[in-house]
Amino acid sequence: MKRYDCIVVGAGPAGLSAAIEAAKRGLKVVVFDENSKPGGQLFKQIHKFFGSKEHRAKIRGFKIGEELLKEANDAGVEVVLNAIVIGLYLDKEVTVKIDDEVIHYKADAVIIATGASENMVTFDGWTLPGVIGAGAAQTMMNLHGVQPGKKILMLGSGNVGVVVGYQLIQAGCEVVAIVDAAPRIGGYGVHAAKVARCGVPFYLSHTIIKAEGEECVTGVTIGEVDSKWQIIPGTEKHFEVDTICLAVGLSPMSQLTKMAGCIMEENPKKGGYVPVCDEYGETSIKGIFAAGDVSGIEEASSAMIEGRIAGVAASYRLGFIEKEELEEKAEELEKALSSLRQGMFGPENKGKDIEKTDEGFEVSKNLLKKGYLTDEEVTKYPGVKTMKGIHPVIECSQNIPCNPCQDACPKNCIKIGANITSLPVVDEESTCIGCGMCVASCSGQSIFLVNEDYEEGYTSVTLPYEFLPLPEKGAKGIGLDRSGKEACEVEVIDVKSVKAFDNTNLLTIKVPNEMGMKVRFFKQA
Amino acid sequence: MSKVNDRSRDIGEFIPQPDDDMIICRCEEITKGEIRRAVHDGMFTITEIRRYLRTGMGLCQGQTCGKLVKGIVARELKISPLELESAVSRAPMRPIEMEVFGNEQVGGK
Repeated sequence: MKRYDCIVVGAGPAGLSAAIEAAKRGLKVVVFDENSKPGGQLFKQIHKFFGSKEHRAKIRGFKIGEELLKEANDAGVEVVLNAIVIGLYLDKEVTVKIDDEVIHYKADAVIIATGASENMVTFDGWTLPGVIGAGAAQTMMNLHGVQPGKKILMLGSGNVGVVVGYQLIQAGCEVVAIVDAAPRIGGYGVHAAKVARCGVPFYLSHTIIKAEGEECVTGVTIGEVDSKWQIIPGTEKHFEVDTICLAVGLSPMSQLTKMAGCIMEENPKKGGYVPVCDEYGETSIKGIFAAGDVSGIEEASSAMIEGRIAGVAASYRLGFIEKEELEEKAEELEKALSSLRQGMFGPENKGKDIEKTDEGFEVSKNLLKKGYLTDEEVTKYPGVKTMKGIHPVIECSQNIPCNPCQDACPKNCIKIGANITSLPVVDEESTCIGCGMCVASCSGQSIFLVNEDYEEGYTSVTLPYEFLPLPEKGAKGIGLDRSGKEACEVEVIDVKSVKAFDNTNLLTIKVPNEMGMKVRFFKQA
Repeated sequence: MSKVNDRSRDIGEFIPQPDDDMIICRCEEITKGEIRRAVHDGMFTITEIRRYLRTGMGLCQGQTCGKLVKGIVARELKISPLELESAVSRAPMRPIEMEVFGNEQVGGK
C-alpha cells in the first residue's frame, strides 16, 4: 500500500492551500481530485475577489487558482487528477479510483476538502432540459466558452445568483430577471447594482410556478409569494426564456467524513450536514481534518485560509512542527479569517435584517429590493461627496470585507481604516488626479470618477466596463441610470485599458450636467 | 423517544396533492407522491425510504434529491428536516463500473 504523510481530498482552494502548508513543513503530500483540471471552482471565477491584500483581493479567481497551483508545485505537492476517492476507512485508509483500478493509500493525516454541491428546488417542469444550476452555467461559459442559453431567468439573488447573472450578460446572454423567494436580495449590494444598471429587473418575494415547454424550456411563469411562501393568485408573470438558472444555495459534500465515522451535525448556519470540527478544522477523529465548504458553506477566500490552517495543524499532529509554530501561524491565519467574516454578510449575521451600517448610515431598502441605490440615497454615503474637479464617487453602502480602493489611490484620497468592512470615505482635502486606479480596483465595480467641471454644461463620468467589444473614443451611445433605464445620449471621450487595471476597462463618457450623478452604464447604440 | 422512532404516532391520512406526480429523484424516477405514500406506509427514516423506493440510489447518489426527499418526509411527519438523519454514506462514493470496482490493488502502487 502506498503511504503518504498527508492525503488531501479535493484540489480546490481549500485542498490546495492545505497541501501547500503541509508540504512546506516537510510532509509528503498527495492531493486527489476527481476532475480533469485542478483548482475546483476557482477556474470558473472570472471576477475580481473581495477582501484585503492578504486575501488576494482584486485578483480574479482563476488567477488565484494559477498562483495556488504554482505554489503547490513549488512546495512539492503531488496532484493526481481524474482520481476519485471512493472510500475513507479505519486507520485513514483511502481507496481511489484511478483509470480502471481501485488503489489503496494510507496516510497519517487526511484533509477532506471536497467542497459543496448545488441545491435544487422543485417546480412544475423542473426536470426539463434548460433548467440548470448556476455552477453549470459558469462551467459552460467560463471554462468552455459556450453560452448556456440566449434568454435566461435566474432564480436566487445570493452572491452566486448575481455574480453568475452578470457573467451571463458578459457572455452575451440576455438575463430577463433575477427572482428570489426571499424579501431581500441576498448577495452584496454592489453585485446587484452591477446587473441592475444593465437593465435586469429583480423580483423579490417571487418564485417559479412553472417551467414551460414540451421537449425543453420555452418559457417560465413566476408569481409573488406571501409570508407563508404561498403564491398570491393574480401575481403571475410570464417570460419567454430558453434557460432557467438555479442559484439557490449549496450543501456541503461531507459524505466522506460521515463514512470515516466523524461526529456530524445538522447546522443550518453552515449550510447543512457537516463534521464537527475544532478551531483548526480537526474532526472528532484525530488526524482527519475538514476545510472549505465541506465544513460550512462560505466562499473561496475563507476556504483558502481554512485550508492553510488545516495544513499547519496536520503538520503539528504528525509532529513536524512544535506547538508554538502551530499557535503562532494559526493565530495569524485566524485573524485574516475573522476579518473576512466581519460585516453585515458575515456568518453571524446570516438571515438578519440589518437596517444600519456600523457607521450608522441607513441601509438602502431600494438596494435590497431592486438592486440599486436611488438618486437621493446615494448622496448619503461617505464615499459620495460633491467636490470641485475630478473626484471619485464610491457607491459602497454596505459593510462588506473589502478594501483595495484604499491602497489603490496614490493620493490617499480614500480611507477605510483598519477595519476592512468599514465604508470607504472620500477625503475632501486630498487631490484626485483622475488616474482611475480606484475604479479598476473595486471588485464591486461601484467606484466612478465624476468631473462636474469637465466643460460648460457637461460632466464627465468614468465607469468600469468589462464588456466586449470595447467602444471607441468618440462613439455615441446611451447612458443608463442605476436602474438600467435609458437616461440620455452620451459620447465616449476616453477609453483606458492598461495592464494595472487587469481587464477592467475605464470608459469616460460626457453627459449633460444634470446626468452626472445619474448615468452609471454605457449602452452601445 | 424521538418522533421519528415513534411508530405508533398518528400522522393522519394520505391526502393526494396536485403535484404528487412531480419527479423528485431524477435518477430513479421517484415522484413526490410515492415518497409521501411511503411515509404513510410506515417508512419514517431516510434509510427506510431509500430501501423502499431507491431514492438517492441512482447515478448522482442523492446529491440532487437528498435535501428534497428529507423536506418531503419531514413535512409528512410534521417534524423539522433537522430531526431526520441523513442517509448512510458508503463506499463507493461515486458510481463506478463493477469491472473497475473489482479491480482492486490492495497493495497499492
